[in-house]
Amino acid sequence: MPYHPETTVIRGLARIHRERRLPPQAVPISTHVVTNMPVDANYIVLQGNVLRDYQVIDVAERLKLRDSEQAAELIEVSEGSRVEIGQTLAQRGRGRRAKLLQSDVTGEVVRIDGSRIILQVSARAVEVPAKLQGEVESVGQRTVQVQGTGAVIQCAWGNGGFCYQAFTFVPPDGFVGLSKLDVRISEYRNMVLISPSPLTKGDLLVAQQQEVAGVVAPSMPSNLREFAMQLKFPVLLTEGFGQRRPTAMIYNLLQTNARRQAAFDAVVPEPWSWDRPEILIPLPHGNMTPSVPAVGQALSPGQQVRITRAPWDGLTGEVVEILPTPQVIANGLRLPTARVRLSDDRTGLVPLANLELLG
Amino acid sequence: MSLQNVHSLLITDIGSVHTRLMLIDLVEGQFRLIGSSRAPTTAEPPLANAGLGLEHAVQSMTETIGRRLLDPDTQQLFSMPEMSGEGVDEFLATGSAGRPMRVCLVGLTPELSLASARRVLAGSYNTITDVISADDIRSEAEMINAVLRGEPDLVLIVGGTDDGADEILLDLVDRVRTALTLIRRGTIPTVLYAGNKALKRQIHNRLGALTKVVYARNVRPSLHEERIFPVQTELALVYDDYLGKSPGDFAAVGRQSRVGVVPTIQGYINSVRYLSQIAPDGTGPLIVDVGSANSVILAGVRRAPHFNVHTDLGVGHNIVHAVEAVGPRNVLRWLPFELSEDALWDYACNKALRPGTVPATPEELQIEQAVAREIVRRLADESRPAWGSGQTFSPIIAAGATLTEAQHPGISALLLLDALQPRGMVELRLDPHNLISGLGVAAYLNPLITVQALETGGLINLGTAFCPDGHVRGGRDALSIQLRLDDGKVINRTVRGGEIWMAPILPGVTARLTLRLRSGLTIDGKRRLKLRVTAGAAGIIFDARGRPLTLARPKDRAAQLLRWQAAMSGQDQAPARPAADMQPGLDDLYPAKQEDEYALPS
Repeated sequence: MPYHPETTVIRGLARIHRERRLPPQAVPISTHVVTNMPVDANYIVLQGNVLRDYQVIDVAERLKLRDSEQAAELIEVSEGSRVEIGQTLAQRGRGRRAKLLQSDVTGEVVRIDGSRIILQVSARAVEVPAKLQGEVESVGQRTVQVQGTGAVIQCAWGNGGFCYQAFTFVPPDGFVGLSKLDVRISEYRNMVLISPSPLTKGDLLVAQQQEVAGVVAPSMPSNLREFAMQLKFPVLLTEGFGQRRPTAMIYNLLQTNARRQAAFDAVVPEPWSWDRPEILIPLPHGNMTPSVPAVGQALSPGQQVRITRAPWDGLTGEVVEILPTPQVIANGLRLPTARVRLSDDRTGLVPLANLELLG
Repeated sequence: MSLQNVHSLLITDIGSVHTRLMLIDLVEGQFRLIGSSRAPTTAEPPLANAGLGLEHAVQSMTETIGRRLLDPDTQQLFSMPEMSGEGVDEFLATGSAGRPMRVCLVGLTPELSLASARRVLAGSYNTITDVISADDIRSEAEMINAVLRGEPDLVLIVGGTDDGADEILLDLVDRVRTALTLIRRGTIPTVLYAGNKALKRQIHNRLGALTKVVYARNVRPSLHEERIFPVQTELALVYDDYLGKSPGDFAAVGRQSRVGVVPTIQGYINSVRYLSQIAPDGTGPLIVDVGSANSVILAGVRRAPHFNVHTDLGVGHNIVHAVEAVGPRNVLRWLPFELSEDALWDYACNKALRPGTVPATPEELQIEQAVAREIVRRLADESRPAWGSGQTFSPIIAAGATLTEAQHPGISALLLLDALQPRGMVELRLDPHNLISGLGVAAYLNPLITVQALETGGLINLGTAFCPDGHVRGGRDALSIQLRLDDGKVINRTVRGGEIWMAPILPGVTARLTLRLRSGLTIDGKRRLKLRVTAGAAGIIFDARGRPLTLARPKDRAAQLLRWQAAMSGQDQAPARPAADMQPGLDDLYPAKQEDEYALPS
């Protein structure tokens, strides 16, 4: 019977389509982005204002009037108008004895309801970059589709950061060696560092001190999540948390493309989000158009898979056989399994649920 | 709406990880479960199509039982009604997958109408974003901002006895109205009104033009009367509507079912209500379902369902929150090996990243079972005040893969006994297909289907557990057991205090049991029992560990836990560890770094 595992895309060359979206709480501002326009990863394809809180100002109450109709007549702003701090919203009387009602925020008058003014406090601007070198496929009010070609490495976790920078591997003595370099002349400054070993807090502190542009590693202790989220550069984990084995295919691919520029999109994974943390390395494709990675395919013999759980987590291999009946595995559970041949020619029974297709 | 002429019924339950499917058919005049299947749920991106997972489950079912269910020629997913042994007459769907519905609660008094509203909401998957009441001391702007910040999918308005006070509630409704008019983007939340019936017209005048308003009967028509069920029914329809609009394309599944996608918990509630109403003493079953994202406990007490839903406790999507909520130390105490808190958090974070994966090593399995124990324990502890002191339930039914698919049926039983610590004589059952929830929905339409499908083997019978009340010192004789089988074989056994024993009797075999309890222990107040008992998948269980259950001191605990597990796996000793080559030592691969090696600026 068909089984459809999760897919993680690890591809040396693929056609990439990505949708960039404004955050849900933002109101869009028009940009000059048009279809077929070439963009680089840092190009801002969407802009918006994040709306903030409302203020309800009761003019009658504030100007001490009993008659709200009379109070409404004193309002000096209109719906849709912008107001600055200190701007008069309503005025009672004239001259030196006039009572003024002034705005204590900068914002927009969104409603005038009788003698009540509802103000929305000015918003913070947000900008969404293309995060991919390529061209714009389509433009919507809140979304932009971008396409390009290159290597794709989907990761397990990110700290929310993003950068488009060249990357290199940490020196052979790791972050310990890096910490001894003078940051002013260090070749690692403003580079994204790839570490094939799990990170420690010390590693992240060194990365911060050395002003690197980002860090990629197989894993780190989960208690560093909060710390990593506060860092200004992207941190990407290819496998997960704790001491996890690196997926050789990922680090080989990074090794092949070392010193190239790449988009490191360390989005924090959410179950209901379309975005996954990923590394996109723009690559030329010549006359050949690479295929788009497929998701949702049924598992079948011959496919390349990655094992996601201990004891063989992070290892990749080829599906040899999908067993027709559930099998008892090492811990006694009876589960649907596949026989997988690992890259070192060992074979083993792996629960189907612990396999992911390499799209 | 009825299922009187229905002969076959397909029920699906779309969970966060698994989409389960069950086929119930009329066999020799009785409704029976004749097939089941399961596929990974496909509601989350990148597939974002719950129907795909359902289709995979249907294909799998067709391969297993050889009955064609899909209809390639029409727009309908299934061939309906059943024709010449192909297709089905009816399809019903329950679901717990999807983001919980965000609800803003508006009502008069926290102790009355709002308390009732919370009980209504417990019958669905939701998170309360804000509560606005007459006692609220926030300014109007603060209330409006609170409503908008929560981005609710639903505003539930309750309050006022029928024909009672109205002005205060209408004031609150005006604030809601102002907030809704300020929404500039996205969907305006649906409003469910279940308050003073005399105010329906005013509610309509204030909100009707702004958004969809659904009216239910007053949840609190008088001070002393509470009507949860009619409001929950309306809430279930609102939930279906919400799911239909949510990512995951649940609408396509809902269209196949005449009642849409009903919240799984709603199905459970209806089953428990029905089963407790037909029980002679009005006490229904106790059901625990530990899922990936949600967990729930329900019990039938005095012919009514009592339930407790947590949309933030689970062993997959919500395992991190679950460990946080129950406390890592409480989880670690169930592990028969050393594990640091940090390693537990690492495990939980990894599981949350890939909630559909399963433990493949004995250690990881123990961790997940430990978390499940603590989730059940917490649900039960929170519910006991509502059940009443000393309330016992039988049967106890478990759902959710961690509880139902343990390495041995005895371990499933052990998990339930550890977590719930029942007293007396208790039937233990498993519901691996989430059948009870689906049958709860079927009970709306034809209760006969529910009763017959449950009676004819829809559940796995683990067996009877004898759990004496009281304590006997560890190592002293506690229970003297004689089991006389129909084939003449006699099993005599003494179970000591602090131990548990699973009598090795094949499922379905009946034995005459003579049980003598030593001083300090009783079952239903008795110290001697003679009865016929039929063994289940976990034989017949004798739990002399005492109540409340006490775990040994840390240095002896691992041995104690392994002894219990071995006893409940039908082994004399603990399960063998897997071969060394299956467990590469990660510490060897990645020796820990020394922090003081770094040359960091001081």
